[in-house]
Amino acid sequence: MVDTARLTFKQFKSIRRQVLQAWPTGAGLTLEDGLAAQKSIPTEKNFAQAMKNAGEQGRVLLQPRAGVALVEEHIKLLQFLEEQGEADLLPTTIDAYTRQNRYQEAEKGIVRSREAKTSLLNGFPAVNHGVEACRQVVDRVNSPIQVRHGTPDARLLAEITLAGGFTSFEGGGISYNIPYAKKFPLKDSVDHWKYVDRLVGWYEEQGVSINREPFGPLTGTLVPPFIAITIAILEGILALRQGVRSLTLGYGQGGNLIQDIAAMKALKELAHEYFAMENFSDYELSSVFHQWMGGFPEDEAKAFSVISWGSAVAALAKAEKVIVKTPHEAMGIPTKEANAQGLRATRQMINMLEDQVFPASRELDMEIDVIKKEVKCLMDKVYELGLGDIESGLLAAFEIGALDVPFAPALCNHGKILPMRDNDGFIRVFNKGNLPLCSDILDFHREKLELRAKAEGRSVGFQMVTDDIYAISKGKLTGRPK
Amino acid sequence: MKPENIVLGVIGYDCHSVGNKILEVFFAEKGFNVTNLGVMVSQEEFLNAALETDARAIMVSSLYGHGEIDCEGLPQKSKEKGLDDTLLYVGGNLVVGKTPFAEVEKKFKGMGFDRVFSADVDLEKVVEILRQDLEKFAGKTS
Repeated sequence: MVDTARLTFKQFKSIRRQVLQAWPTGAGLTLEDGLAAQKSIPTEKNFAQAMKNAGEQGRVLLQPRAGVALVEEHIKLLQFLEEQGEADLLPTTIDAYTRQNRYQEAEKGIVRSREAKTSLLNGFPAVNHGVEACRQVVDRVNSPIQVRHGTPDARLLAEITLAGGFTSFEGGGISYNIPYAKKFPLKDSVDHWKYVDRLVGWYEEQGVSINREPFGPLTGTLVPPFIAITIAILEGILALRQGVRSLTLGYGQGGNLIQDIAAMKALKELAHEYFAMENFSDYELSSVFHQWMGGFPEDEAKAFSVISWGSAVAALAKAEKVIVKTPHEAMGIPTKEANAQGLRATRQMINMLEDQVFPASRELDMEIDVIKKEVKCLMDKVYELGLGDIESGLLAAFEIGALDVPFAPALCNHGKILPMRDNDGFIRVFNKGNLPLCSDILDFHREKLELRAKAEGRSVGFQMVTDDIYAISKGKLTGRPK
Repeated sequence: MKPENIVLGVIGYDCHSVGNKILEVFFAEKGFNVTNLGVMVSQEEFLNAALETDARAIMVSSLYGHGEIDCEGLPQKSKEKGLDDTLLYVGGNLVVGKTPFAEVEKKFKGMGFDRVFSADVDLEKVVEILRQDLEKFAGKTS
């Protein structure tokens, strides 16, 4: 079945002509050339295959974040992470100028990095370097590589990196706009990502599987699981509609063991449910767990503890993949040595827990049940607003704040929802904004927060939110008064 | 005493929004009149906002590592616009990679910033320094 929301090949080709003109490295690029390059890549370097194998074998694959300004240095960085960090999967993290399509500024960053003999960019400017440079990167490492970024309009980046042999592409029209942009209209980013998904769908039709991963953690700051899961499911449906087949849905660690395991279970179960409702059955679904995405402690010993806790939960939650942090997280971009240390700390924990099972419990079942109810409240509203269509529904939902991401920079996000931890460290909703949560759910959240307020001898308020945001970097999960 | 105007924002193409929202609430609670430009703010937007609001201080944040490129020339442009009496503070993770703070501070002071702060600085201390700096300036001009 071909979805009616799918871009036709004619529409795709006509947009493509414009997309390739945005920067000289796009000129003359043909789909056939990209396909030939992809077909020459050995199976063991295909990301989609690696994710499928991990699911079948019950393994947790380790992936760092990494990217620098210059090609040769980037290759050396990735080789180091493979050899010294024992990474299973490699990234190519894209710099922040490229993410905003500022190729001129990226060019300046490349020149200045050459002069300074060190990277002045926070990632690899793949568009400026072009297809051949990407192929060199792919050629000189042994593991599959994913493009990781934060780009509302990633059409040219996708064309160049996929033709360059990368086999996984992170992002989505919501998850790479709301946390990553200020004034980018949501409708535009959703449209641009339709193009990216259609490009991936085209490769799939030609027999080359490319993995797609919506960005689960969003703002990485106290995001209640149901918000992240709802958006992951919506982006999953949008991707499947364009012909994507290999899909990895993500979730960022919240910090409470029960809530995190519940979220990972609910994420997969709900995704299958909603995909089936949308008549999709021909796909490979896997999950990725992100180690703590909020502020980190400066002390590297303490940072390792945060990394290890994330690793433990990833293993117990049976994720197919874990995204690894580094002991330099509090200071910004890590050295390659620090990055490899984060990977090795993660490896030890995953190896120790991979065969262990977290037992079913009443608390876990209850939390899964709560998350499912919450997601249903949001999804029902999206379907209602879209008269059955999730794409127009999600746009309308963001407009009225029925979908809302905490602490996001985007002006198209309502920004009224405020989360905080309850007395057991679960992330709950303090101010719901316009989220369409039903009253028994809201009562439940309120009750839990009141228990914390009582324990701390203060009333529920914004100070608790601020305290929670900085708690982990200051050494605790929950921001208690001194 | 009339509240002092300050301008706040995250420079360049940086979209780290969490700390920015916290800073806004914090400085407002401390009695400042805050114009928060939010994330992804250009040098021109900072300077224009400072001119429009007659700001006593511009507080520039950068978390993503491109601080060095993004901040280049801002102090000079500030003087060119006649903002000689406006304090220029910068803070965050200002360069790519873990670098001793003394080096970062030297680099940005060399570029012309009045004060340089690390990402984990105690905000109470920043307010204390800001008040002292504002007093010094007031003494000079009046």
